Amino acid sequence: MSASQSAVRSRAEAVQVSRTFDWMILFTLFTAVLGGYHIHYMLTGGDWDFWTDWKDRRLWVTVAPIVSITFPAAVQACLWWRYRLPVGATLSVVALMIGEWINRYMNFWGWTYFPVNICFPSNLLPGAIVLDVILMLGNSMTLTAVVGGLAYGLLFYPGNWPVIAPLHVPVEYNGMMMTLADLQGYHYVRTGTPEYIRMVEKGTLRTFGKDVAPVSAFFSGFVSIIIYFLWHFFGRWFAKTDFIADDAS
Amino acid sequence: MKIIKDKVAKLSFVALLITMTAAMFYAPTASAHGEKSQAAFMRMRTIHWFDLNWSKEEVPVNDTMTISGKFLVFAGWPETVDKPEVSFLNVGIPGPVFIRAGSWIGGQLVPRSVSLELGEVYEFKVLLKARRPGDWHVHSMMNVQGGGPIIGPGKWVTITGSMSEFVNPVTTLTGQTINLETYALDNVYFWHAVWFAIAFAWLLFWIKRPMFVPRHIAVSTGKADTLISAGDKKVGMVFAVGTMVIVAASMGATNEKYPVTTPLQAGLLRGMKTYQMPESTVSVKVDDATYRVPGRAMQMTLTITNNGDSPVRLGEFNTAGVRFLDPAVHEDETSYPDDLLAEEGLTVSDNSPLAPGETRTVEVTASDAAWEVYRLADLIYDPDSRFAGLLFFWDENGTRQMVTVDAPLIPSFI
Ligand SMILES: [Cu+2]
Repeated sequence: MSASQSAVRSRAEAVQVSRTFDWMILFTLFTAVLGGYHIHYMLTGGDWDFWTDWKDRRLWVTVAPIVSITFPAAVQACLWWRYRLPVGATLSVVALMIGEWINRYMNFWGWTYFPVNICFPSNLLPGAIVLDVILMLGNSMTLTAVVGGLAYGLLFYPGNWPVIAPLHVPVEYNGMMMTLADLQGYHYVRTGTPEYIRMVEKGTLRTFGKDVAPVSAFFSGFVSIIIYFLWHFFGRWFAKTDFIADDAS
Repeated sequence: MKIIKDKVAKLSFVALLITMTAAMFYAPTASAHGEKSQAAFMRMRTIHWFDLNWSKEEVPVNDTMTISGKFLVFAGWPETVDKPEVSFLNVGIPGPVFIRAGSWIGGQLVPRSVSLELGEVYEFKVLLKARRPGDWHVHSMMNVQGGGPIIGPGKWVTITGSMSEFVNPVTTLTGQTINLETYALDNVYFWHAVWFAIAFAWLLFWIKRPMFVPRHIAVSTGKADTLISAGDKKVGMVFAVGTMVIVAASMGATNEKYPVTTPLQAGLLRGMKTYQMPESTVSVKVDDATYRVPGRAMQMTLTITNNGDSPVRLGEFNTAGVRFLDPAVHEDETSYPDDLLAEEGLTVSDNSPLAPGETRTVEVTASDAAWEVYRLADLIYDPDSRFAGLLFFWDENGTRQMVTVDAPLIPSFI
């Protein structure tokens, strides 16, 4: 086959090849994002996402959105500006959460026998969907960062509350009050995660009294805006084609 | 075409491999057998575990056992390890093969971290409920912030039965009794399934149409705006508004279903109750101490003075959980783990009762394979080559006294 010859002979064949391409690229993108995002999230969010007794009203709410808006912003930058596909955030988060579920189910439960109800992943999907829709409707990075980033931070806690609320029911245990989540952490022995490294309910937002979760969520939203900008630029830079020699066209 | 296809396929495969290997194989540390690899000085000069007792050697699933005993927080705590100001009484087992049904220091429940004082003795107990069948090495363990895990002696315990029968009933303050082993699990799966379904619907809405090549051509020829139709925008609105409505509604419903919830509980427990050992009337001075590498034996020259009013004899030397006994004075009746017990490992050049007021200089030898097996001999390669341990003396009524020793150790290679 010489270089000047076309690889396809008819429009139907072109469509078919293009579709094959779609699936291959999508699969590659999906697995690459799954791997990269999963490692990134484990290194930065780590224990906050692993264990229910880390999922507090302050640090989990603050940390999880900030460190997880990264890949969605970058993948959006690529998929939107090059293909007008408003699925970057959702695709990333779906990939991440599938990876997490495999890990939690196979390793945490299947290998180490932690019950799934102590080590399930956090739900990041509501924020991701809203982030994608805002980018599609506004066609603006700034708008997505400001409105989307804030929404991403704000939706995190309420989006997870239906899952974790049952574990925040209090229990009296040998004369001490704790939540069921605390009790899970106590019962299911982790030799490598002693109680003191648990970073929960710490911070300087105490002046707000009982309503710490909304304050943490707002703070998280504001930082998410900045992180969104940063990673959106990373995404644009990575999606450049300058790396590839321009001889295909 | 075929070449590109191959390349993409190869790339996909590589990406998949990276993904699999890198992230998915992470599992929380399950092994608890670091006892031998921990530096000898850490085990000899930090927490001294003694009077240990494992209540059972075989436990059926759902039954309980205890590890109890005492520990001395060594006064000569090494400079290189952070002081145990924030510590957590743990148990060294390979993951949750038991659940920790309770743990106490000085009678106080310690689900949180505690502050320990140097030179004090504490009494502890850990209540374990059997969960997963198998033979498990069960260690006492203290995690120290800045110092890492300090693993105590371990004993093999067999759990029999079937894990599927394990239950963990807990009664909440709202009056329900639940099985914490599976509690709220359906709820977790349900909400994750709901959100995955919504997310997949959104992805499918876009993926079902031609994606990369035609859309890229459209964008690069300036026809990007034609790619998002008014209908797409409407669907997008439905997804965004729908998401927010579901989040708000499910949160409201949850609050109604669980009106009583509390924040996670945390915080340091201070002022732990110490255990008062009987006042020691024996004083011991270490004149010198050598470790004979070929003989796997430690030799100490001790000058012992009895300031009490009844004669005493040296019966035990305990270091890093290894117990060297003089059977003429003391025998173990607690079925202490074999590998850590040298029943005849202690020889004293003159172990006749030391009368009140008398002072005697004796040669004490502690020899056993455990020096090598537990790599205590590696002490001689540590940066601060000191040994430490507990000496136990008995009088004729069986009353016991404890004296700590802490001195430099000189190796001897011949
Ligand atoms: Cu062990």
